Amino acid sequence: MYLEARDLHVAYDCVMALRGVSVALDRGEIVTLIGANGAGKTSILRAITALKPLESGSILFDGEPIDRLSTVEIVARGIVMAPEGRHVFPLMTVKDNLMMGAFLRKDRAGIAESLDMVLALFPRLRERIAQTAGTMSGGEQQMLVIGRGLMAKPRLLLLDEPSLGVAPIFVQEIARAIVDINREEKVSIILVEQNSRMALKISHRAYVLVTGKIVLEGNSSAIRRDERVRHAYLGGNVE
Amino acid sequence: MGQVLFNGIYTGVQYSLIALGLTLIFSLMNVLNFAHGQLYVLGGFVTYYVYGGMKLPFFVALLASALTLAAVGCLFQIFLFRRVMRRSVREESSMLLSAGTAMMIESLVLIFFGEKHRGVPAVVSGVYELGGVFIPRGRLLVIGLSFLFIVAFILFMRYTKPGRALRAMAQDPETASLMGVNTARYAILGWALAAMLAGMAGAILVPISGVNSGLGNWISIKTFIMIMTGGAGAISGAIAGGLALGMVESLGYHFFPGGETYLIIFIGLIAFLAVRPNGLMGKAV
Repeated sequence: MYLEARDLHVAYDCVMALRGVSVALDRGEIVTLIGANGAGKTSILRAITALKPLESGSILFDGEPIDRLSTVEIVARGIVMAPEGRHVFPLMTVKDNLMMGAFLRKDRAGIAESLDMVLALFPRLRERIAQTAGTMSGGEQQMLVIGRGLMAKPRLLLLDEPSLGVAPIFVQEIARAIVDINREEKVSIILVEQNSRMALKISHRAYVLVTGKIVLEGNSSAIRRDERVRHAYLGGNVE
Repeated sequence: MGQVLFNGIYTGVQYSLIALGLTLIFSLMNVLNFAHGQLYVLGGFVTYYVYGGMKLPFFVALLASALTLAAVGCLFQIFLFRRVMRRSVREESSMLLSAGTAMMIESLVLIFFGEKHRGVPAVVSGVYELGGVFIPRGRLLVIGLSFLFIVAFILFMRYTKPGRALRAMAQDPETASLMGVNTARYAILGWALAAMLAGMAGAILVPISGVNSGLGNWISIKTFIMIMTGGAGAISGAIAGGLALGMVESLGYHFFPGGETYLIIFIGLIAFLAVRPNGLMGKAV
């Protein structure tokens, strides 16, 4: 396994957000974490990136333990998180936001190459390159946050609700971009989503969370077809 | 009137320079630094010591002030603010700490340099006259240096990688760390820069106004007025606030040579904040 998180426990103000969650990902996979609001999906990403300390549990990346590293050290190893779209740097231009993504890189030619790739993937960002990020629409901000993550040349990309606050026509565009990033750029992806319909369509495997525990895992296509799952955990909104 | 305008610009650019450091700390760390005026005073005394006492060239003294204050800024963050902010749950703790550091610096300055008002020989002498306006060359030097430092600071924040990291951190510290910004280290850099700006402002003013240990609080209060009118946390706001206060002060001293100027300024400030609570450039929080 490329990433292996075992038995994670995380608490916020003494309330357990994760109660023994184990998640794994193979190199090249898109794995999605779905479930209702507050089920603990984002907490898993925050635990992996060390934004939130673990109560207990362990995390291995590429065979090495990373659960004692700082956020910066984890980013340096190639695990990059694209938080929700409202976490653009609002007073910076699109260009400066993207360059912040490449903060730890020194290879100028490589950075220029990544910038070209991101702007080809999201042509809207090219149109808005000099615009202040805070003035863009929700969908554009999501694209910027994903593009900024790609500027780091990640080995594993963690996407937190990329469809949140995005107009339906943009959701498709973002979904297509995620598939492209995975196939063309060979980036492994963990996708946290409330839009389980989209997430199950583009991912290989899925974990379903309910109040801090994993209640179901398996191939996304199988989960998508399972009527009981839909009704029990996903509010019947799959397809 | 030309004289009033010149004096306003002269006062305004140095105020802007002072306000930049305060707004930097405020936007990066959410700390309202009550010791900012004391840092200014300390910078002035370093120049007094190196230029006036040791008779070294003025620019050596300016450099000494800048480096000393940068070091003080680093120590502040590493030994005081980082520790307190890590443990405290209330934001007021950092304010209380900064008020404490203000008293500490003031007392240290008093111990080492005494309570006297200290001046040094002028760096350049002579006065230009331009259509009835008297322009002392020393003040022109202050305007030039202040302007230079302000522009350098803006360029640094806008076009360099560390500058970008500082801006990112001010806007969203957690996301900045997700970009790989070591926020603990950049907090130190921010403090060093802010203290350095205050110290350089103090240094370039010693040859004209002199310095004494009791000036600090008054400078801090003036700086608070500037960033409140300009808008806290914005570089443009600090500059606008500094220039505005300088100009108003110059006008006030012209029309009210007695002591009424700051009474009027405070009344005006209250009225202004009632209409625009976020200042000129401030964002609504």
